[in-house]
Amino acid sequence: MLFKLLAYLGGFVTIAVSEDCLEKFLNMASTRGIYLWGIANAGRNRVELKVRLSSVQPLRHVARMTRCRFQIVERAGLPFFVGRMKRRKALLGGALFFVVVLYILSSFVWFVDVTGNRSIAREQVCKAARQAGLYRGVPKWSVDTAKVEETVLRQVPGLSWVGVYVDGTRVRIKLVEKVLPPDTGQEKPADVVAVKDGLIKEILVLNGQPRVSEGDTVTAGQVLISAAVPPPDPEENLEPGEEPSEEPEQTPEPVKYVHARGIVRARVWYEDYKEMPLVERGVRSTGREITKLCMKIGGKEIIFMGPRQIPYEHFEAQTNGKRLPAWRNISIPVEFITVKYHEAKPYVHRYSKAQARRLASERALADIRSRMPAGARILKKQVQVVETNEPEDIVRVKVLVEALEEIGKERPHVADRGGSGIVDGKRGSQGNN
Amino acid sequence: MAWKDLKNKFKRQFSDYLELPGDIMLDLPKIVLVGNQQVFIENHRGIQEYNPGLVRVVVSDKIIEVTGENLTLRNILPDEICVEGQITALTFLS
Repeated sequence: MLFKLLAYLGGFVTIAVSEDCLEKFLNMASTRGIYLWGIANAGRNRVELKVRLSSVQPLRHVARMTRCRFQIVERAGLPFFVGRMKRRKALLGGALFFVVVLYILSSFVWFVDVTGNRSIAREQVCKAARQAGLYRGVPKWSVDTAKVEETVLRQVPGLSWVGVYVDGTRVRIKLVEKVLPPDTGQEKPADVVAVKDGLIKEILVLNGQPRVSEGDTVTAGQVLISAAVPPPDPEENLEPGEEPSEEPEQTPEPVKYVHARGIVRARVWYEDYKEMPLVERGVRSTGREITKLCMKIGGKEIIFMGPRQIPYEHFEAQTNGKRLPAWRNISIPVEFITVKYHEAKPYVHRYSKAQARRLASERALADIRSRMPAGARILKKQVQVVETNEPEDIVRVKVLVEALEEIGKERPHVADRGGSGIVDGKRGSQGNN
Repeated sequence: MAWKDLKNKFKRQFSDYLELPGDIMLDLPKIVLVGNQQVFIENHRGIQEYNPGLVRVVVSDKIIEVTGENLTLRNILPDEICVEGQITALTFLS
């Protein structure tokens, strides 16, 4: 490699010598320290060999002494290339022009990228950047990144940080938007409603007016704690030693709407039904697998790797095909397909009645658990075996579960949903606990 | 030639005794074959014959004949020759 590079830099020529006097010529040249390489027969009684440009002159002496003529067949290397280039001034000028133009064009900004903006429009940022002197086509040296950062940060609202990076002909404006705390709707009136049917076990009101009490049966969607809080009853506000006539004729306060909050726990019932055959049949993977790799051209399939016939009796195939991307309307009908065959084995499992019942009830329970919310507590479990008249090899199981869980859910208050319970300025039936 | 033989014998024994390599002491060629594709001959005395089917290289007191197909001389240095091609045989001729 190094040798070839040196030969190229110094230049070398290919010369042709007649075969008759070759040996003498070679021996004399090599004893004089002339380096020759690539000696090969060129046909027609001639042999070609390569020699360095600097050795051509001493080789002439050798040729004269051995009376062996040589002709230069080919010239290669940098010195010849330079010589040729000298004659082609326009090409050289063009190349130089190209480099200069490339250099000049690369000193302008051609792309402005804006990243990190989620809610702020790109145009808005670009407009601000333009005011600070950054736009497409501006020379790179005239862009003051610190000034652009400052201007964009000041002009565009809702930004917490701006970074401007010059990256070749591309300027990247990175933004970080201010993260505002989410609107929780704290101030809007909301009710607590039931998400499912149940029997109220306990109710703890943090804010709002309770509409149900312990022991009530509620249905899904029913308002449990209302947003509408009626004005307090004058009698209830009375304290033992106080005179009722402190502010005698106060106009009745209007109904206050608050964001109701509270914990409502209720007993909820779940039911599930499962069947379990005493003889279970199915297939199970053995873990053995085999991969077939093939190429599909049109309708033909060429198998590269893997068996032609699948050696398993039962198997599951998993096919994964790769196509060349379709371009316009042309799709190349060549597809690489990898098929994985997993060996499977059928099995038959027999259960006793008790086993089948246990399995079925476990499955039913697992099903119920997945339907229950996270904080629920199971109070009671009841497993019923459904008996049929004629004997059969199947066990039917019905599972009933009673659970204690929270059923309240906040929902925006709607004026006429379920009524506020305040018809004529009086409270609802339930007391505040 | 008796004197020369005696001298050579003494030299060989001397180099054997001191475990010196023969190519230095006895002026023997060192030949390296790379598969049947290349042969390097060090310590040569020139080329006697060259054509694509046969190359003869002179060494100290013998001639090495390399036969094969499409033989080319990859390079020639004052003390090393490299022959390339499909080599079929390497023979010593005295």
